[in-house]
Amino acid sequence: METAELKLQVKKQIIEFLNLISVKPEDIKDDEPLFGEGLGLDSIDSIELIVLLGREYGIDIKDPKEGRKVLADINTMVAYIEQHRTK
Amino acid sequence: MGVISAIGNSVAENHQSLKNATCGVSKEFDLFPTKYAGLLPFGQVPISTEDLQKQLLVNDPGVTRTTLLALHALNEAIADCGISAEEIQSFDTALIGANTVGGMCLTDELYNDANEKTDGSDYLASYDCASVNLYLQKHFKIKGIINTINTACSSSANAIMYGAMLMKNGYAKRAIVGGTDCLAKFTINGFNALHILSSDNCTPFDEGRKGLNLGEGAAFLILEKEEDIKGRKVYAELTGYSNANDAYHPSSLSDEGDGPFLSMQGALKVANLTADKIDFINAHGTGTENNDEVESKAMIRLFDKPPAFASTKGNIGHTLGASGAIEAVYSILSLIHQEVYANLHFKNTIPSTGLTPVQSYTKMPVNHIMSNSFGFGGNCSSLIFSKV
Amino acid sequence: MLYIHKTYCISAQQDLLQANIELINEAVDKKLLAIEPSYEKIPPGILRRMGKSIRMGVGAALPLISETDNIDGIIMGSANAGMDDCVKFLNQMVQYEEGQLTPGSFVQSTGNVIAGQLGLITKNKGYNITHIHLGLAFENALLDAMMQLNTNQSNTYLVGGVDEISPFHYNIETLAGSYKKEDISNKYLYETDSPGCVVGEGAAMFVVNAEAASSIAKVAAISTIHSTDIELLKQQLNLFLQKNIPAGENVDLFLSGENGDNRTLPYYTACETLLADDTAVVRYKHMVGDYATVSAPGLWYACEFLQQPVPEHMFKKKTSKTEYRNILLYNNFKGLQHSFILVSNL
Repeated sequence: METAELKLQVKKQIIEFLNLISVKPEDIKDDEPLFGEGLGLDSIDSIELIVLLGREYGIDIKDPKEGRKVLADINTMVAYIEQHRTK
Repeated sequence: MGVISAIGNSVAENHQSLKNATCGVSKEFDLFPTKYAGLLPFGQVPISTEDLQKQLLVNDPGVTRTTLLALHALNEAIADCGISAEEIQSFDTALIGANTVGGMCLTDELYNDANEKTDGSDYLASYDCASVNLYLQKHFKIKGIINTINTACSSSANAIMYGAMLMKNGYAKRAIVGGTDCLAKFTINGFNALHILSSDNCTPFDEGRKGLNLGEGAAFLILEKEEDIKGRKVYAELTGYSNANDAYHPSSLSDEGDGPFLSMQGALKVANLTADKIDFINAHGTGTENNDEVESKAMIRLFDKPPAFASTKGNIGHTLGASGAIEAVYSILSLIHQEVYANLHFKNTIPSTGLTPVQSYTKMPVNHIMSNSFGFGGNCSSLIFSKV
Repeated sequence: MLYIHKTYCISAQQDLLQANIELINEAVDKKLLAIEPSYEKIPPGILRRMGKSIRMGVGAALPLISETDNIDGIIMGSANAGMDDCVKFLNQMVQYEEGQLTPGSFVQSTGNVIAGQLGLITKNKGYNITHIHLGLAFENALLDAMMQLNTNQSNTYLVGGVDEISPFHYNIETLAGSYKKEDISNKYLYETDSPGCVVGEGAAMFVVNAEAASSIAKVAAISTIHSTDIELLKQQLNLFLQKNIPAGENVDLFLSGENGDNRTLPYYTACETLLADDTAVVRYKHMVGDYATVSAPGLWYACEFLQQPVPEHMFKKKTSKTEYRNILLYNNFKGLQHSFILVSNL
C-alpha cells in the first residue's frame, strides 16, 4: 500500500475507533500533534490507539511511553506501521 | 467492626497479619477462569464462594460473592458491637454501604442475560450495586435509611461520611457503614486495559513502582452517637471527613493534586485540627505511577513535612469500593494498639518527593490518624479517626 | 429543608406543559425514549465518549451550572449510569477473549461517571458524590443535599437524577418481568390490569440552596422506606404527615407514581385512602415512563404545578382547588422501595 493511501486509511480508522464525531480525514494534518493541542486526544485515547495498532496491523506495543512516541502524529504513526506491521 | 480480606477473615486475624507484615497478594488464583490467573498477582480472600455460602448458611439463589463478603464482615461487626436485633431493626438504624462491582463478578451470567442468550438466570436482580444492601436489608430486617454509594475507589469512605451526616442531622441514631467488592474478570480486564496492573507485587511509594494489584474484601463499622453508646466498647471517634473533586481527568489525578489536597484539608477543618496534630496517614498508595507521586505531593503541600505514613495495598491489594472501609478498620487498629504497620515491598524513595513510608511494624503514640481514598472521576475523600 | 431555584428536565415529553396538553408523545415499542437536546454545551471531544445516560445527565446539568454563579457541589442519583458501557466492555472482553481491550468504555462504566464528568468539565472541585441505591438513588441525593445545606448554609448545590433505557438493562429487566408483556399505548397505561410498567428514561436537574428568596419551591421533607408491608407503609405515611404538614393545612395535591403495574397499585391506593377528600390525585408515569430515578422528573412536575395548571389528562381525581400549597410525591419502586417527598410553595 502506498504511504498516502495508508495515511488516509489510518485517519479513517482513528475517527471510527475514537468516535470523533464531526472530524473528517482531511481535518487531520499529517504533522499535527494528535495529543494535547491538535486533535485534543488524551491518555485514554493513546491506549485505545495502541489497541487499534494491535487489532488492525498486528503491532504489539508493550510500553505506553514508547506508544506515545509512535503516536505523536500521523507521519510517525504511519512510518511505524510500515516498518512493524505483521498484517 | 468486622473485616474480611486476603490477610484474614476477622479483625483479629487482619490485625495479626498487619503486625507480621503478611502479604496476602500472590499469583495463586483459583476463583474463576481468567487468562490472567497465574500471570498477575491478586489479593484473593482464600475462601471459595461455595464455602462462604455454607459458612454463612445462605441458601437463597442469586446471592453474589460481593454480598457474601459483606455479610461475613457485617456479622462480625454486629457480634463485636453487641447490638441487639431490636436495635438493628429500629427505624433509626441506617445502613450505608458502598461497592463498585456489584454482581458484575458474574461475568458469564451477565453476558448471557444482557445479550438475551438465556431465559433469565437466578441473578437478574443481583447485577446492580444496590443488590448488596437490599440483601442485607432483608437479611437483618433493617428499617432505617438505606443507601448505596458509588464514587469508585473512594466509595466506602463516602459511605462512612454519609452515615455520620445522617446521625449529625438527626436522621439516624446509629449507622452501619461499610463497603465490599470482590475480584471480577471485569475489573481485572478493565484495569489491565488501562495498563495500571503490576505483574509483580505492588510497591506503594517506591521509585520503581509498576502499578497496582487488585484485591477483594469487605468491612463494616457501627457508628453511634456519644450519648447513645450505653456502656458498649468504643474503639475510636470519627472526627473528620471530607470529599472533594480533582476535576482533572476521568482516570488519573492532576499533577498538583488539588483533589487530594482539598479532601485532606477539608477533613482537618471538620475535625478542627491543625495539620501537625495528625500522627499518621493511612495513604491511598495504590502503587501506580500517578497516584503515589500525586498523593505524596499533596501531602507535602498540606503538611510541609508529612507525618509518618504507609499504604496497606501491599498486604491486601486494592479492594476498590471496600478499601475505604477496610482501611478505616486498619486505622482504628492503629489507634487502639498505638502502633503502625509496614508499607510492604518499598525500596527507594521517589526522587521528586523524597518521602519514605513506614517500613516496619512500629509502636508509637497515635492520637489522630488520617485515611485517604481517591477514585476515578476525580472523587477524593479523607477521614480522620481519633483516639478516645 | 431546601429551596429549588432552577430546574431542567430531559424526558419523553420535554415540552408537554407548553404544548397542547391533550397531546402526549407515544411510546415506541413500549419504551418512552427521551427527546434529547443538541448538547451544545458539551465539548465534542468529551461528548464522543459518552453513553446516553451520561450525555443526558451532563447535558441537562450544564445549562443550569452555567446560569448559576457558584455551584459548591454536585450530587447525583443514578441506579444504572454506566451500565451500557459496562456491558459494552464485557462484550468486548468476551469477543477478544480477554486480549487487548480498549479502556474507554471501562472508564465510562463506573456509576459515578456523570458527577465525575460534570466536575471535570466545569472544573468544580467541591463536594462530588453519586448515590446508586436503585429506586431510592435520587431520594438519597436529595437528602444528601438537605444535610449538606444544613451544615453549609450559604452553599448552592446541583442535585439530579438520571437513568437510561440501555439495550442491555432493558433485556435484563424484560427477563425479570418488569415490563408489560402486552402491546399497550402509554395513553391508556392506567386502564390496564396486568403486571409490568412502561419503561422510561431521562434526566432532571435542580439547583438548590437554603435561600427562600426567588425560589420556585421548597422541599420540606423526605422519607424513605424499605418494606413490602402495606400496613407499615400507611403507618409511616401518617407519621410523615403528622410531622411535616403544618397545623390547619392539608396535602393539596398527591403526585402519585402509579405506573399501571397491578402488583404495586395497592400501595398507591392505600396512600390515597389516608388523604383528605379535597386532595387532588395526579399521575405522571404515562408521560415519562417508570424507572429507578423517576422521582426526579416527578419533583420537576411538582415544581411546575406550583407555577402553572395541571393538564387534564394527568388528573386521577380533580378537586375544586386550582392552586396548590402542599404537594406530596409518593413513589414505589418494585413494591419494596418507597419514598415520600413533600414539596410546598413558600
